Amino acid sequence: MTLAIASALALIVLAVGLAACGGTTGGGGNTGEIETAKAGPVEGKLTISNWPGYIAPGDHGTVAEFERKTGVNVSYIEDVNETESFFSKMQPLLEQGESGGRSLYVVADYMAKMQHDLGYLQNIKKSDIPTVFENLLPSLRSPDFDPNREFSVPWQSGMTGIWVDTSKAPEIHSINDLFDSKYAGKITMLGELRETVPLVMLAEGIDPAKASTDQWLHAIERIKDAASSGQIRHFTGNEYTEDLNAGNIVAAIGWSGDSSLIENENAEWRMPTQGCTMWSEDMVIPVGAPNTAAALEWMNFVYQPKIAADITDYVQYISPVSGVQELLKERGSELANSQIVFPTEQFTRKCTGQNSPPDLEPVNEAWQEVITG
Amino acid sequence: MSLRQRLVPYWLLGPGLLWLIIFFVVPMYFMGELALRTGNLTTGFTFNWEWSNFPDSLSGHTEQIWRSFYYAGTATLLALLIGYPLAYAIAFRAGRFKQLLLFAVIAPFFTTYLVRTIAWKTILSDSSPVVSVLQTLSILPPNGRLLATSTAVIAGLTYNFLPFMILPLYANLERLDLRLIEAAKDLYSSSTQAFLKVTLPLTMPGIVAGVLLTFIPAFGDYINAQILGGTQQAMVGNVIQSLYLVQRNYPEAAALSFLMMGLILAIVVIYIRFAGTGAFMGDEEEETA
Amino acid sequence: MSAAWAWLRRNALRIYAALAVAYMLIPIFVIAVFSFGNTPRDKLTFGLEHGFTLEYWETIFSLPELNEALLTSLRLAAFATLISTAIGTAMAMALVRHRFRGRRATNLLIVIPMATPEVVIGAALLSMFIYYSFALGFTSLLIAHVMFSISFVVVVVRSRLIGFDRNLEEAAADLGATPFATFRTVTLPLLAPGVIAAALLAFALSIDDFVISNFNSGTTVTFPLYVYGVSLRGIPVQVNALATLLFVLIVVAVSLVLIQQRRAERMAAVRPEQEGPPPIPAPGAAAAT
Repeated sequence: MTLAIASALALIVLAVGLAACGGTTGGGGNTGEIETAKAGPVEGKLTISNWPGYIAPGDHGTVAEFERKTGVNVSYIEDVNETESFFSKMQPLLEQGESGGRSLYVVADYMAKMQHDLGYLQNIKKSDIPTVFENLLPSLRSPDFDPNREFSVPWQSGMTGIWVDTSKAPEIHSINDLFDSKYAGKITMLGELRETVPLVMLAEGIDPAKASTDQWLHAIERIKDAASSGQIRHFTGNEYTEDLNAGNIVAAIGWSGDSSLIENENAEWRMPTQGCTMWSEDMVIPVGAPNTAAALEWMNFVYQPKIAADITDYVQYISPVSGVQELLKERGSELANSQIVFPTEQFTRKCTGQNSPPDLEPVNEAWQEVITG
Repeated sequence: MSLRQRLVPYWLLGPGLLWLIIFFVVPMYFMGELALRTGNLTTGFTFNWEWSNFPDSLSGHTEQIWRSFYYAGTATLLALLIGYPLAYAIAFRAGRFKQLLLFAVIAPFFTTYLVRTIAWKTILSDSSPVVSVLQTLSILPPNGRLLATSTAVIAGLTYNFLPFMILPLYANLERLDLRLIEAAKDLYSSSTQAFLKVTLPLTMPGIVAGVLLTFIPAFGDYINAQILGGTQQAMVGNVIQSLYLVQRNYPEAAALSFLMMGLILAIVVIYIRFAGTGAFMGDEEEETA
Repeated sequence: MSAAWAWLRRNALRIYAALAVAYMLIPIFVIAVFSFGNTPRDKLTFGLEHGFTLEYWETIFSLPELNEALLTSLRLAAFATLISTAIGTAMAMALVRHRFRGRRATNLLIVIPMATPEVVIGAALLSMFIYYSFALGFTSLLIAHVMFSISFVVVVVRSRLIGFDRNLEEAAADLGATPFATFRTVTLPLLAPGVIAAALLAFALSIDDFVISNFNSGTTVTFPLYVYGVSLRGIPVQVNALATLLFVLIVVAVSLVLIQQRRAERMAAVRPEQEGPPPIPAPGAAAAT
């Protein structure tokens, strides 16, 4: 008995001692100067993290071509499945100034800004990436969140709309159709706050860019009711493609370029009647990135129109590189005329960007409740 | 005994105890400490004696907690009903095949939890033969489904934790002295009576061990709910996972984990006080400190 | 007709056992079968419309990410098994064969991790690692895996030690063997099956672990974590082939161990599972249900 008491006391003393060592921890971001990525001889090993199905694969794919041209050994890891959970995984490392061996990864615009503000990213000198600025589409040169393109370089853009299994539910064209009870349990929506909720707001005639916090919360309520009643089967990240393939759902809110991942021949991507959400993803260089010279060279490499065209050919997303459409036309590819890959102003006239709500915290909390179940 | 001889057990126990204390007990303390912090990623997490995290973490999530009780409870009951006869059969009817059957019971463990749960996901998918048969037999309505329902999650939990039920049951059943049942028969009891009055009470420690070893991990599971369930099947584990790994709300996540841990610890401590740690570990004698 | 009924009644339990075991092996069967199914995207679909192929077995090691994940898991499991088996066996010996103070506390410390849901263990460890800004990766995973394996090793080895016939060691001593020689030639070989069983269990637990690894891996990818990642976008069929291969290898390994154990038992004329005289079989057993 005394042994038990003694050990308990010892533990308490130990614990208090340990607690005294700590104050604020786990966050606060990296204080100090923001580094600039260093250029240099291009050699060695390069580790990149990206979303799955976001590059031309195989022996003649982008990575293979880059390796052949530069002699760099590339480790291309497709471990980004969801913007938030990838950040959660990286955050403890980034807080320490580490990147887990990664030299470059691809994240959404708003996430790039968030990480920059926390001091987790390195800056990029324009003179180190000439090919990028030669070929970057004018519309992407000066976005609100990074007006001088100091820390982000666009990778691909895309649209969030509705994937429909035309053999089972050909009449779905609007987000409002997704709430029709005859499809109960056969609908999925994306778990990303800034993609799904703006779509619902558009369907109600609200402009997400100007919406008040209350309007955000109201849209979330509507989605929540649909989830409770069993109308919505899942809130997904990448996995809605699997549900489409297995025939478990008739429609999903999903991304325009995912046709390479969908086996279901009856599935097609549709622009919602009231408009879509448009987004961009960027390459960023994190703190602690090894071999930044190779990372910079990678950025230059993928901005060559020919390489960019190869990527577009496979991923079918919207390329940030000018000249790709002409190249694809020369190759006789059908994609050159595709509205999904090269959308016209007219096609996307009702679309909105990836907006954030004016007051993030309550909206985020409400959203998390809905998607966690 | 010489001093050296008396110290031997402490040397033997030392590494294990140290490892468990440093990497189990201490983290529990840290989790409790994290639960008392406030803040977020941008501002950092500051220690604030923020006791409100505890009721806060419960407030939004009572539904998931009750659901976890319900799912884990049902799965445990099913596992008991399925597993007891199986354990009995292996202990007394298996003959040469005893070890083979035992191995077959553990075999699913060797295919990775995720792979076999995903296998179930496809076996139970909407367009699978299983669902078609159930629809033909009118067990399911014409456009009914199994996935993204409570049924699928409970079925998954039962399957995945069945070995945890069977092994303690078997270990206990194996020691059953069949002559006691003989004796009962000699005293004119029927088979059913013999079972209820002799076998069942004697195997109760095994049953309780199996129930605990099944219910507790099932309660905290989130994989089955995530893969086989839909928006309405989230369990406590899903909430904790989301709080830690998606929302990065570490204080609330830690508070909820701590509460869940406390709940389970209460159940285990009550049982141990009742039956002694020896019974939990599988032998019949009570050990003294 | 009644002869058939009688046979059915007598063997009801056996038939049930066979069905139950078949149920437990369904996913394994499904996984194995569909590793031979041809699919257009080289991603797993549970349908056989496209015929059979050996392609995915031939290219089983062609995915670098998968290979790396598998190697990481194997390395992790190997180290974790070695460390936890050594520590756990030492603890078991101390618990069974020595007297010491704090037995109840030790028992509690061993039992509680087994009764804690993985979510809580994983989250608590993460809390501690966050607090100390300890880099998450292979080391943090190793620490976690050893931690949750120790308890299981102790339980398995302990049950083996309890059934151990110490007369044999006494006999060896009577015949003039030194304590060390006794340990080497009598204790160790007889203990070996228990230790090996414990090691296998620790290995299986480590390879299989998803939840705790998910919380504490940082950016290291283990096999289950890899499977989880690809399950969202289409599992390469090679994963199924690998899972099947792993399963078969483990079956072979365990069978060899069992055969070896049988042989060792026959040679030592010891039946470690039973204490006391064996129950009277046949007529009593048949009437016991």
